[in-house]
This record gives sequence, structure tokens and C-alpha cells, in this order.
Amino acid sequence: MAGSTIDHLVSVTVFLGALMLFIGLFNQTIQTAIIYQHHRVLAVKCSDLLDNMLLNPGMPIDWGKSNVTPTGFGLQDPEFTQYRLSPFSLMRLQSAVGDTVYYPKTGQYYSNITVGFGNFLLVPFTEAINYSLAARLLGINGTYSFQLTVTPVVTVSISKLQSNPLNLSVNVKGRGFPLPNAMVSYCFITVKTGGGAYPSFTTDYGTVYTNAEGSAVLSFPSVDEDNDSYVLIAYAHLSGLIGVGYYEHVTHDENYVVPFISDFEERTVIIAHSYDVHGGDNPAAIAYNATFVLLTEDFTLREVPMENSTGKVGKINYGEGKPYKTITIPTYNPGILVITYKKSAVETGVVLMPWGISSLAFPVVFGDDPSSSDWVTTDLRQVIVNDIAYQAKLALWSLEGYQVIG
Amino acid sequence: MMRTIEILLVIIIITSAFIIASFYAVLPIPRRVSPINLRRLALTTLQTLDVDYDLSEIVFLPENDTLWGQLQIALSACLPPNVVYNLTVYEVQSGSTGELYLPIKSISNAESLGIGSDAASYLVASSNVTFRVVPEKIGEHGGGGTLYILNCSDANGWWITGYTAHTLAEDLYNLLSPYFQITIMVQNTTQLGQILNGTSLQGETVQGAVIINTCGEAVPIPAGYYSSSGVGYDTGAGSYALYCYTLGQKVREHNFTWVSIVGYPLYYVCNTGLFPNQQNSWGIYGMKRVGAAGLNAFLKGLDNQSYSYDSGWITGSPGVVYLSSDSMYYANYYGIYPSPYQTATRALPSWITSTYHLTVTTYVLNPVGGWIPGAVFRNTGSGSLFALGLTRTPDIRLTVLGLLSDYKPRLYRSEYTATGTSRLVVLQLGLVGGV
Repeated sequence: MAGSTIDHLVSVTVFLGALMLFIGLFNQTIQTAIIYQHHRVLAVKCSDLLDNMLLNPGMPIDWGKSNVTPTGFGLQDPEFTQYRLSPFSLMRLQSAVGDTVYYPKTGQYYSNITVGFGNFLLVPFTEAINYSLAARLLGINGTYSFQLTVTPVVTVSISKLQSNPLNLSVNVKGRGFPLPNAMVSYCFITVKTGGGAYPSFTTDYGTVYTNAEGSAVLSFPSVDEDNDSYVLIAYAHLSGLIGVGYYEHVTHDENYVVPFISDFEERTVIIAHSYDVHGGDNPAAIAYNATFVLLTEDFTLREVPMENSTGKVGKINYGEGKPYKTITIPTYNPGILVITYKKSAVETGVVLMPWGISSLAFPVVFGDDPSSSDWVTTDLRQVIVNDIAYQAKLALWSLEGYQVIG
Repeated sequence: MMRTIEILLVIIIITSAFIIASFYAVLPIPRRVSPINLRRLALTTLQTLDVDYDLSEIVFLPENDTLWGQLQIALSACLPPNVVYNLTVYEVQSGSTGELYLPIKSISNAESLGIGSDAASYLVASSNVTFRVVPEKIGEHGGGGTLYILNCSDANGWWITGYTAHTLAEDLYNLLSPYFQITIMVQNTTQLGQILNGTSLQGETVQGAVIINTCGEAVPIPAGYYSSSGVGYDTGAGSYALYCYTLGQKVREHNFTWVSIVGYPLYYVCNTGLFPNQQNSWGIYGMKRVGAAGLNAFLKGLDNQSYSYDSGWITGSPGVVYLSSDSMYYANYYGIYPSPYQTATRALPSWITSTYHLTVTTYVLNPVGGWIPGAVFRNTGSGSLFALGLTRTPDIRLTVLGLLSDYKPRLYRSEYTATGTSRLVVLQLGLVGGV
């Protein structure tokens, strides 16, 4: 009797122990499967969300060219179909990178997509679309978080080979891959030194082809590196891929012009003195002269005259009681605002601002930071922004976690 | 003891069940759990490569190794490094049994596409499938063929209300450049001075060129020689009417056709560098009023008469005017349809034809009484004036129509060919590396 009881007890104990062990083992497998399923759903959601952003222009469809707050989020260019994005909608996205800039004279904070000295894109927060609004409009607020990165496919980097005579090397690359035999059309703007109330400039245009290493050398023997400020803007084209690059040299950078977008609808840009924005040494009044260039259909750059009434020339000073100036971009075609400035006859410089994100191939990073997330899924699309080839990458992660009871 | 053995048997059964279940319940590899959508990536890559119809051109030239080499470079340049591809072009043949796809060219950058791949297809059409019209180029058979469009950054316009000289220049370029051997945007007044000197800007033929002034009633004036006293500036009258006279002489010398798109021709001279503090009395700086003397001087220069300052107003205002029957015909021929009736307030008088030895070669708008609201006037010697004496705002389609009606370039309509007009491009992408 006692033996049978012991046998019973041992068998039940072993059975229960084995049962618990196997429940745990099966649960482990099921948990992993469920998490995998969540990840799969996240990947599908990422692909859908990316298409949703890129294949609809938003509401209203021309919100990129106006000051309205959209009621539907989308980045497609309303004048096209498929994966063509509006350079202006992208410009209105509040950048996730770049330090915010405060300009006391307007009392506003500006989203900053500045790429090095002299290449500014500053959009007021009041006009920019912030991430939380986009998430709400996409219907993922509180459930998913994302980061959208739109970067140019073709990199056109320009470096100086020699100062006297001036030789510049234009290097055209894809994703780490040089592009030989690419057509490079360029616009070279030189700020004239000498008298006159406002800075004047000369423009040279030309076309060259890259060699087997994907580079081309441009020579400008008439430029004096010590006395001349200049900027080179180059567009590269190969088999449907178009990229843009730029290079600037200034003889004076203590006082310069900082352009702020003021109004998208009216196409106005504030011309501010650098001392009022970034401070610095030896502040002084400067005169400026603005011009606008755009890329034509035959991949050459063309200057668009700006009328005097648009404020193309003027003088700005720093400090209180010295108001900023305003200029009006002459067109809604994407292009580059080139502002030459001078402090004196020999102290000059030049700054650029893209009108439409693609004109200077500025990258866009919009959304939240994925670095602290457990699982981030990404998806890619090739997109066109005003003929410039970009790659759009969406990183998506869940905010709800994957709690599995077990 | 028996129960313990039974339990052990149960454990063995459950263990076997777990092992068998685990064997069949294979979890997918991470790459398949969270994949890149290769199908979409392939499609968008093809669309990107075809943004300027470059891909469409290449797939119809399978024997052109240079272009295919460039396509391979472009593909490698725009795809992520861990993505390999295979691009195949198929000829699409239609028959009674359906469509047949014949592979004609394939390129790849890897022997295999890894463990998983996806593909997208993209149908491209040959340029043959499109109904194309190739215009005859003006000057193709000798004489002229150059179109200059004044797009001077240092000159403002007047009576082009609602437009800028640049936007008008842009539209004119798009509409007229297919019909000319070469079309050049004149970027500043310095370049205008070069043309007037007979110097080419890009190796083009200067003689017999057409110059369109997009500044409306204002005419850009180069600084320096052309604005100097005795050449451009009439010191006695204190007027730049002399520049208009010199301009007329240059038009005669180089057999130019000078085009005035709106209003009273040559009523102001403009150069923002030359007249930074002067305005046209309506608040537009960089401009100086010449008045009616400008046109009178121009016509004298065109006819090689001696210069004398004459500020007499010569235009009239016939009001509503209509397109001529020739213009209506050519509007249909070239597919340019401006409004058939316009308002003329600066129509030239018909007596100038005898006074200045002009022949009207094209009436764009019907004459009304003694007024000619829009026409091309050719001097019996050399040089022409095409003046549209309409009120603002200008409609540059009239300018285009007038020039085309005068030069009459023919349109060659290409044939529609139905065979071999479509090809299917399949781009298959695969992922390499990783798990």
C-alpha cells in the first residue's frame, strides 16, 4: 500500500514537473513566434506608411507652397504621379537634426537645415510642420513612431585643387560608386571687388564631362583667390540620375548675410545680419545683392532676374533699431537664391539658400529618434524631387511594446 | 512503480511531440521577418532611371554598349550595396495567340540573387509610338536661324504687367526654340552690346537673327559705347533717342528682326547699372523715358535716314482688333491659339510704310483704318520691325504666332509605327549578406 502511494506521489510530482517544463518550452516558442509576427506586421506597416507619405500630396494638395497647416500629410508633388516629391513640402518639414536658430528681431525660432557655412535653409517654426502633427495626420500617434530620411542618391563634391590659377575638382559619386562620363553643367558666380554701393557679380556657365574616376577639373584662371569671393554650383547627370553640388569661397566671413524663410505663400525671405543671429567679432554694416538661378530642362543653370521692387539690393546693419530686409523670390520654380555681400570694396562673400529642397540637394531628416527603440524596421524607395534623384528611407518602430504573458 | 514508468513514457511522448513540433515550427530568418520591400524598390529604381526617358532610350538600343555601361553604373550607384540586381529587357510581340515576351538583353552584377529576391516590371514605349512633329528649323536652308531672347538681369520691363521679363523669356524659349537653329537667352545688356557689334555669343550666326525684347515698352541699353554721347545719348535734346536710332541702324546692318511684344516700341531705355537712381516716372528704377522720339529715331535708323530728334506721337488707338485670316490659319497649323480679338492702343500708322520704305510681310492683326495694330515691317534695304501695338498685358502667343506666320517653318509629322514599340523591363533585386 505504502509502495503504491509513494509510486503515486513520485509519478504525480514528476508529471507536474514535466508538464510545467513543457509548458514553459512551448510558451517560449509561441512567444518568439508572436514577436516575429509583430515584427512582420511592423515591416508591412512601414512599407504601407512610406507609400502613404510618398504617393499622396496631402490636403490641401499645395500645402507646401502655402502657409496653411495641412489636414492630410503627404509629400507627393501634386503636379506629378508616382514617386515624385514636392521640393516645397519637404522644405516645410521641421528638421530633426541641426540646432534650432532664434532670431530676436522676429522673435521666432527657426528649423535649421544648414549645410556648412554659407548654405542656409532656415524655416520658422510657425510655418514648419512638426513631427507630432505629422504623426497625428498619419493616424499613428501613440502607436508607432517614425523617422523619415530623404537623401540625395548622387553626391557631387567639389574641392579645390589649386589656388593660383584656381582649379576646382568636381567629383560625382553614387552610393560609394564614381559616375564616369557624367555630364556636369555648372554656374560660377564671382563677386566683383571695387566701388559701388552694392556688390555686383559675374556669372559663367559651362558644361564638362567626368573622367573614368568620376571627376572633372574646372579651371578659372581669372579668379584671384585672395581677393575674390566666388561660388560654384554644379549639376551632374547620368542615365536619369541627377545630383547637385556647390563650393564657396569668401574673403570676409565676420559679417555676412543670413537668409530666413519668412512666408511660403508670398515667397518672401528675410535678410538678416549674421551678428544678430550668431554674434561674432567686429560687427559692421554690409551691403547685399541677391539673384536667383534655376536648373532648366536641358540641365543648364539660368539666372532669373529679380526686380528692384523685390528688394534684391540693400544694406543691413546689426543691433536694435536696425531692421532686417525682405526680398521676394520671383518664381515658384525651385532654384537657388544667391546673395552676394560686401563690407568694403575688398571684403566680400556669398551665401546660398535653396528655394525648394532639391536645388542644392539638401538632405531632410524628419521625425523622432530611433536610437533607443528595441526593434526598428526600415524600408526604402527611390524618389525624384524636381528631377534630382533622392532615396527616401523610413524607420518605424512600435510604441506599444510586445508584452507576452508566460 | 508502474505509474512512474507510465509518467516516464508520457514525458517521452511529450518530449517527442515538442521535438517534432519544433522541427516543423521553423521560425523565419530575421531578414524575412522585417524585409525591405524589394518589389517597390525595384519599381521606384526603374522610374528614377526613366525620369528623363533615358531608360526608354537605352532599352531600344541594345547594341549600344556605352549606354548600357552607363545604365549599369547608374543602377549600381542608386541601389544599396547589399542589393544585387538582374535587369532583363523583353521584346513584346502581339500575335493571334496572345502576347509573346522575348528576352533581348540582360545585365546583372551577381551570379545569383541570394536566397530571396523580388522583381518589378516596367513597360516602356519607343519614341516611335508617340505621334511626333518635327519642325523645320528657321535658317536651315541659309539666312539667319538665330533667335535672341532678351532676358537681361540688369534691365527692368514696363507694360508687361503681371509678368517679369524672365517669365516671358522662359515661355518664349519653350515655344520658339524648336523652330530656330539656335536660341540664346541674352543674360545682360553687355551681351546685347556684343550682338549689336555683330559678335556672336556662342558661335551662332548673328546676321539675320531675330531679337525679341521681353521688356515691353522699355528697351535694354548697354552701358559704355552704346550709351555714350553721340552714339546713344543726344546731348542737344537730352535724350537717349539716339540709342534707338543707333539700334535701328544696327538692325539694318545685321538684317535683324526686332520684336516689340507690347505697347509703344522703344518708349524707355533701361539699365539698372546705368540709371540706378532714375525711374520712369511710375516708380520703376533703372529706366529712363525716351518717349515717342525712340520709335521715330529707330525707324530713321532702320531706313538709313539721317538722325533728327522728333518727339511726335505717331501711334493710334483703334480699340478692338482681330486676328488676320492668315494668323487664324497659322494658329491652327502651329497649334497656338491666342484670343482672336485684342485691344490695340499703340497701333502704328500705315504711312510709315512709305515714309520709311517698309513692306508689311505679315499682318498678325487686321489693319483698322489707317492703323496697323500688329505686323512685321521689312525695310526694302535690310532689317525688320515686328511691332504689336496692343495694350498691356502682353500675350506672347501673339508674338510667337506672328514670327511663325512670317517665317512659316514647315512641320514634319512623323509616322506612327505599331511594331516593336513596347518593351518590358524587369528588374529583379536580391539581398546579399546578413541573415
